[in-house]
Amino acid sequence: MLKANHINYKHKEFFILDEVDVSLNYGEFLAIVGPNGAGKSSLLSVLANEIKQGKQEILFKEKQISAWEVRELSMHKAKFSQHNSNEIPLQVKDVVMMGRYPYFDSQPRKEDFEAMNKHLYETDVYHLKDRDYNTLSGGEKQRVHLSRVMAQVENQIERKLIFLDEPLNNLDIKHQYKALEIIKKFTQNENSAIVVLHDLNLAAQFADKILLMKSGKISAYGTPEEVFTAENITNAYHFPCTICPHPVNSNPMIIFG
Amino acid sequence: MLLIILATGALYVGVYDFNGVSPFTVLGQLIQGDPNLALSDKYVIWDVRAARIMMAILVGSMLAVSGTSLQGLFKNPLATGEAIGLTSGATLLAAIAIVLGGHFKQYLPEMVQFSLTGISAFIGALLAMMLVYRISTSAGKTNVVMMLLSGVAITSIGFSITGFLIYISKDEQLRDLTFWNMGSLAAATWTKNIVLAIVIAISYTILLPKGKALNAMMLGERDAQHLGINVERLKKQIVIITSLMVGTCVAFSGTIGFVGLIVPYILRLLFKSNYTFILPLSAVLGSILLLIADTISRSIVAPSELPIGILTSLIGGPIFIAILIKFKKSL
Repeated sequence: MLKANHINYKHKEFFILDEVDVSLNYGEFLAIVGPNGAGKSSLLSVLANEIKQGKQEILFKEKQISAWEVRELSMHKAKFSQHNSNEIPLQVKDVVMMGRYPYFDSQPRKEDFEAMNKHLYETDVYHLKDRDYNTLSGGEKQRVHLSRVMAQVENQIERKLIFLDEPLNNLDIKHQYKALEIIKKFTQNENSAIVVLHDLNLAAQFADKILLMKSGKISAYGTPEEVFTAENITNAYHFPCTICPHPVNSNPMIIFG
Repeated sequence: MLLIILATGALYVGVYDFNGVSPFTVLGQLIQGDPNLALSDKYVIWDVRAARIMMAILVGSMLAVSGTSLQGLFKNPLATGEAIGLTSGATLLAAIAIVLGGHFKQYLPEMVQFSLTGISAFIGALLAMMLVYRISTSAGKTNVVMMLLSGVAITSIGFSITGFLIYISKDEQLRDLTFWNMGSLAAATWTKNIVLAIVIAISYTILLPKGKALNAMMLGERDAQHLGINVERLKKQIVIITSLMVGTCVAFSGTIGFVGLIVPYILRLLFKSNYTFILPLSAVLGSILLLIADTISRSIVAPSELPIGILTSLIGGPIFIAILIKFKKSL
């Protein structure tokens, strides 16, 4: 699905990303974790073709991502950004409809309204659809944008990819699980997702692969069991922890302190 | 499609209304009884009246659409040609063309004379636009204070140089320059209208379908790109086309302020900031507004006339303040 080698990203003389390699398979849920300032968001931006610096080789579906036609690419991949605009003087349904912009010219068609309604329901914001976006709480805004991103990749194309940068910010516990379940369900049809997460236990429970970053480098990569060892985590976060199997689903469970 | 039909309808209503309330109702009927029409009557109706109405419609529409697209580009309802110095830039270069171009102007045919001031006004607007955009926008985010202040700076530069030009100019040029600063539709001719119509046709073909793209820009430039919008191309198109429209309007009718502020403000009250509605509708409402304003400006102090810029600024000023108060917190 996505292959990137030797990604470097510099701001002035400081390396934010230093020789990072990423490879993602079809149907894979990859979680990027790591301490603040490790370069998680920068990596996601580079992979999503937002930052163009130097010679980077990022292959999306066996084709250079920068060589894709912009509108065509927007039907194959979508991105959820960490810093979503606070001020959008529109109604919620207009914001979600933006996800359908690649598909219609001037007026939305029937399937665009269907996709909009479906994802308004799934992210539990349907009751807010006529509200002004600006009057929503932080968590509600996050759900609106998740709804918009999911509506964007609602099509017949096979093997799509979504990038999500901290989609769980401001969400309550129920909606955190709900959001991850939406993403998980998406990846079950050969689609893939790359998600920046802060909660290691949620990452362990939902992701297929974990990429642990530290100071612009990959410090561990593999399945949750391989990456989440007490040694790896303590090393990356400089904070003590204990690992034990989750009593219900036997995924690794990280207890800090 | 429905919008276009409504648009045409609204335009016709606007024109007929004008004929109804004007003291020249009789002339309205004379249009049908063509053969018996006196030559002077025909001249008044066709070459003065109709040409002027047409120009009000065209110029009003362009000013409103350029204001709306600028606000989309800068993501702020205060961005208009006047506020960010576009109009001053256009006026300045048009003034230079009048005064300095005057030396060889008489050797040129009428069309080229128009083009000379028109093209210089366009270049002036374009330069001002690029300067403001460079100063106020970094990494896709617009600093509103910087945007308005660079507008103030450009306006004051323009004002001082135009002042100097007025000082050195001859009598005839002085009249032209004063007209530039006041703004008026009195100099309307059908030749000018044809040029305006061509500019409108080109601009609107490119600009009016951009409502979706301007909406997406509210998410930020990167996210707009993820929605399949070619952001760099969009920005270039808006910069060039709004400069072209503002430049043309300034060249033909001088500075008619605030139309680009009032029209989107009214539409935002009804449709929020949904550019898929307010962009095409501002083309219609701009025409209606300027037509009404022009009709008032030449009937309120009849037989003399009030410069139309005074009228639009009178409505626009308070609206500018109203928006400022609303945005007090976020500035």
